[in-house]
Amino acid sequence: MKAYVLQIWACRWFWYSLVRMDLRARYRGSVLGMGWSLLNPIAMTVIFCTVFATLLNQDIHFYAPYVMAGIAVWNFFLHSTLEGCQCFLRAESYIRQYPAPMAIYPLRNTLSHGFHLVLATFLVIGLTLAIRGWPGFLPILSVVGSIPIFLLAGWAVSVLFGLANIHFRDTRHLAEIGFQILFYLSPVMYPSSLLMDRGLGWLVRINPVVPFLDLMRIPMLEGKVADPLTWGLAMGISMLCALVASLALRATEDKVILHL
Amino acid sequence: MAQVVMDQVSLTFKVRQNKTLTLKEFLVGQMFRPGNNPQMEVKALKNVSFEVAKDERLGILGHNGAGKSTLLKMLAGIYRPTSGKREVIGKVSSLFDIHLGFEPEANGWENIAYRSYLQGETPSTLKDKVQAIADFTELGDFLNMPVRYYSAGMMVRLAFAIATSIDPEILLIDEVLSAGDLAFQQKAIKRMREMMDRAQLVIMVSHDLASIRNFCTRGLWMDHGSIKQTGPIGEVVHAYQDSVRSPAKAA
Repeated sequence: MKAYVLQIWACRWFWYSLVRMDLRARYRGSVLGMGWSLLNPIAMTVIFCTVFATLLNQDIHFYAPYVMAGIAVWNFFLHSTLEGCQCFLRAESYIRQYPAPMAIYPLRNTLSHGFHLVLATFLVIGLTLAIRGWPGFLPILSVVGSIPIFLLAGWAVSVLFGLANIHFRDTRHLAEIGFQILFYLSPVMYPSSLLMDRGLGWLVRINPVVPFLDLMRIPMLEGKVADPLTWGLAMGISMLCALVASLALRATEDKVILHL
Repeated sequence: MAQVVMDQVSLTFKVRQNKTLTLKEFLVGQMFRPGNNPQMEVKALKNVSFEVAKDERLGILGHNGAGKSTLLKMLAGIYRPTSGKREVIGKVSSLFDIHLGFEPEANGWENIAYRSYLQGETPSTLKDKVQAIADFTELGDFLNMPVRYYSAGMMVRLAFAIATSIDPEILLIDEVLSAGDLAFQQKAIKRMREMMDRAQLVIMVSHDLASIRNFCTRGLWMDHGSIKQTGPIGEVVHAYQDSVRSPAKAA
């Protein structure tokens, strides 16, 4: 285990430069640069606010940061998973040439999406500051501090879906359908209180995405650090996923190349 | 101290008629129509054992599909043995498929950087080398262009210059000397020679028997995944040539 982590560290310049290249490829050629990639969460927030704030009878001062935080978290997991499906296939030519640890290819995927998550997080903080005022220093710190937990979970899903996809090439397709269903079941665009009030609270309680959504929303909207249970759940889910991903990787690392 | 030990190494691939499988096919096909996309076993290497010590130059020969390249990739650590033991002491550098794995959207300089990182360079060691690599390619301003626009020959120049910029301990080479135009080829052969002379241990696969005989000290003849013969390079090349000339006698 320790030796494996050292191997990942040893080729850090390689995956670091791939991540940088991914980011540059995404931003290059657009006048707005980084602003361009934030257009998606901004546009979604505007649409949700115009339609659903009215439809669901929500206060815009609460709903706008609420939905923007939801989209930031959701997009991170959605894209980590969907592009995670391709992480080993995309790296085929490297895998065929160098015996680098397989964990770096999902890591590449996670870090470039992690970067977008950080940008989107600052956008959420900015919006909160603009329409709700200063939420407090500790809450902001807690949001920024929770990002490693997101990254760990993102890496784990990249590994698991990447491995699944080299065995079954329709994994991405199935994941898209799964996420579509999960989107409607998750309090991303509607407040979780709506489900709670209608006796569907269990849907919120069993949803593994909810603690992550809360981790970003509670500090911004309630001006306090999320409760220990939320932190515990988010960390627990991340670590459990990472453990399963590590075991899966250990069992199949040597065989990845045989399935490309 | 470079050393390579292969002890009873075997490698078995499991392949399917249609290369990829979907979950849908797996559930529907395998349950109701088994045999639709059957799994086949290919024994790529069978109980291969040999040792190579420091200062040796081993040439691997054999017909296409004999397992030469697979053996080389096994030595590089890309394939793991299905059974048996592979022990390699020393830092391995390998030259095969060097034209693969370029990021098309990135320019020449960027590709030089991350390929070199993959070969174990760090920003500080690369700083001293990057200009020399660029000079060797003779690509000049083209290096500022995404490699997507490169011609095949330009790609070869770039790939070769990066791949041969290393100081290898153990060097594995698979038929890379068909590089670029004539002028570049002569330059390439010279550079390759210099690099091979620097290495402590070289294992190469080639169909060019003259150059193998010229460069290597020992030969290893692979046939259908097994070692057919190993020994001084002259003897092995001779035996191999004989078998090719009169296949009936050899069989």
